[in-house]
Amino acid sequence: MRRKIAVVPERCSGCRVCEMACAIHRQRANNPKKARIRVTTIYPHPVVRMPVVCNQCKDAKCMSACPTDAIYRRNGVVRIRHDDCIGCHACVDACPFGAMYIHPDIDVPLKCDLCEDNGRPQCVKMCPTGAILFMPEHVFGQAHRLNNVLSYTHMKEIEYTEGGKPKRLHYADNNAAEGRDGKGGRR
Amino acid sequence: MNKHNGGYFRQILHIDMTSGASRTEAIDDEFIASYIGGRGFAIKLLWDNLEKNSPFDPLGPENMLVVAAGPLTGVYLPSSGKNSFASISPATGLFGDSSMGGGFGVELRQAGYDAVAVVGKAEQLSYLFIDDDRISIVPCPELKGKGNLETEGRIRDMLGDHDVRVASIGVAGENLVRFACVTSDWSRNAGRTGIGAVMGSKNLKAIAARGHRDLPVDNIDKVIEISEQAYKELGAHDMMGHWQKQGLMGVIDYANVMGILPTYNFRDTHWEKSKSINGKTMLAGHKIGNTACFGCPMCCGNINLVKEGKWAGTVTEGPEYETAAMLGSNLGVDNFASILRGNYLCDDLGLDTISTGNLIAAVIEGYEKDLLTLDDLDGKPIAWGDDDRIMELIEQIARCESIGATIALGAKGVLERWPQLSPIVLHVKGLEQSAYDCRGASSMALAYGTSDIGAHHTRAWTVGKELEMGADWGIAEKVDLVIHHQHIRSLFDMFGVCRLPWIELGFHEDFYARLYSAVVGRQYSLDDLLVKSQHMYDMTRAINCKLGATRGDDYPPARTFIPIHSGPLAGKVCNKEEYEKMLALYYEKRGWDEQGRPQIACD
Repeated sequence: MRRKIAVVPERCSGCRVCEMACAIHRQRANNPKKARIRVTTIYPHPVVRMPVVCNQCKDAKCMSACPTDAIYRRNGVVRIRHDDCIGCHACVDACPFGAMYIHPDIDVPLKCDLCEDNGRPQCVKMCPTGAILFMPEHVFGQAHRLNNVLSYTHMKEIEYTEGGKPKRLHYADNNAAEGRDGKGGRR
Repeated sequence: MNKHNGGYFRQILHIDMTSGASRTEAIDDEFIASYIGGRGFAIKLLWDNLEKNSPFDPLGPENMLVVAAGPLTGVYLPSSGKNSFASISPATGLFGDSSMGGGFGVELRQAGYDAVAVVGKAEQLSYLFIDDDRISIVPCPELKGKGNLETEGRIRDMLGDHDVRVASIGVAGENLVRFACVTSDWSRNAGRTGIGAVMGSKNLKAIAARGHRDLPVDNIDKVIEISEQAYKELGAHDMMGHWQKQGLMGVIDYANVMGILPTYNFRDTHWEKSKSINGKTMLAGHKIGNTACFGCPMCCGNINLVKEGKWAGTVTEGPEYETAAMLGSNLGVDNFASILRGNYLCDDLGLDTISTGNLIAAVIEGYEKDLLTLDDLDGKPIAWGDDDRIMELIEQIARCESIGATIALGAKGVLERWPQLSPIVLHVKGLEQSAYDCRGASSMALAYGTSDIGAHHTRAWTVGKELEMGADWGIAEKVDLVIHHQHIRSLFDMFGVCRLPWIELGFHEDFYARLYSAVVGRQYSLDDLLVKSQHMYDMTRAINCKLGATRGDDYPPARTFIPIHSGPLAGKVCNKEEYEKMLALYYEKRGWDEQGRPQIACD
């Protein structure tokens, strides 16, 4: 089962604990500028705080941009072979999410490898608001899917009483299918 | 002298705005061991500067602005995003400082400086750019009159870097309003003591910082171990969820129940309409997001949006308790959206919300009591809860227009123009009182009275403990508690960390001593550090004595000695005799003479 990082920007407070945890564990440096995950903040219109981190893309633009084939995949994780990297930063420019980072003291770009050698990613472990999740790939999109399905079926509601308490029940309206294709629901 | 292996870059950056010159000054272990950092470094730098300059005008080029993060700022520990702005205050004429949260201090440290000291005055409005080793003073006359929001964005655009941190002043700072603040990350403020006006007096519109360095840490494994345990403990705390949701807005209900909520210019301490300005009201209709300072799991910042009505479209980070009380109950404003509007205006114009709410309340009460005439108000009446007029007044203060020009001079200036208001302007040493009434807890009166910067609650917040412990408390215990708070809380400002995990979530003080020891690579006990903090308190007192402070400046506002007439603490009052006794004992315990002079002031 492959897992990857999912970000919930609505939960992010912008505290940057993820940056520190990443840098201190992975670079042995108390330096958020050496993190492989960074929080981007926009204010006041719109108010957004979003941790930006590698998505381990299947068709990784960083990989195809690399002129020395220094970027490779192992167990689904996109990695940089340090010996082959020439520090041209083509990958940093190619990433559509801006999820690769440069620090002036480090030649090889900083890129998330899911803390693969240490279990759960440190940023996930330390995020105080649950804005960074580590989820099996097949669960991605499930929450949106459920919400979407529920909002579709929440078309009708009835109120009733159970044990003296008012209750409410939602149901999908069969009649809603009428008229969708002008056949009145007939096959 | 044992070496400090981590915690410091060992250099202070000196800038002269007049000549544009900059230089670094190396600091040694003795300096570090004596002053710790943050506010402590600032005190020493201001002390030395004062020796060189006499007479002294806080708004003259001779005054020094010190921006100093501490040795723990930006370190991997909960709530390490604090940074001190210190100077001789134009509000009080005495030592002044204010602590700012956010990410600015971390950036400044990563640029490699333990403190930045600025003197002089630029020829035209300029901003200072500290880009690791590269220091530049950039003229920016086009930013004149711009608010903090626009200024921060424009400077980022000019530098072509969205991640640059900017601490700026708004219109209020440019106009030398005595309670102008410094703002960073759009809405984090060094609010108190008028540091924004000091920047304005130097034609310094903003300081932009960008740094790439590792923060020096001696024992990184120890820091990881101690801090991850701390994050875990805080995360498991019962109140953590409440904090993340409400932040300091939860204090409104607490203050109202305890009878310490400033209402109608501190006339009352309990408000029947408090529910309209509390945390629940915020959550129900306005909050759209959390925000946190660097490294903080508590994310006490509330981002709010006004969705309908006359202020619709207003986005602001805040309010927290102080702002909601000072612009809410203290002004009789029961429309939460109006508090948000006031919060937004103060942040953008660069005004301290506490002083703003305090002084506007005094003007409203003065007019109500016929101490001020309609002429004094330029023909425009004002009443409790009159939000339109209050918003207009906030703008007028920042722009020094009309009656705002008088209010902009702060408590001292207001009383010079309208001495008849002296019974109803609540201030100590010229700094307007913050949002905790102290009549139910005389230790809090002593805390306000003896605070080195004036009537501010963060030097010693003893009101909660005294009220919770009941009335039978001897004066010695009260004095001890005030002194302990003044030392431990100062220590947080020297380290560059926030006090809230400690005071609100019961986080143990000893943690900071252990962590500091791991960072610097030298063993310090909490007691060692408290002794240093005490020395700092003596030094600020000595600075104040040099600048003319006397025992007479150590009294709480006049209203403290008038009984509360309603609410749960009705009838409570600070007894003058008891106060005199406490003050005398306070001096004695500190080893100061009967006029409140520490030995170092007499040397």
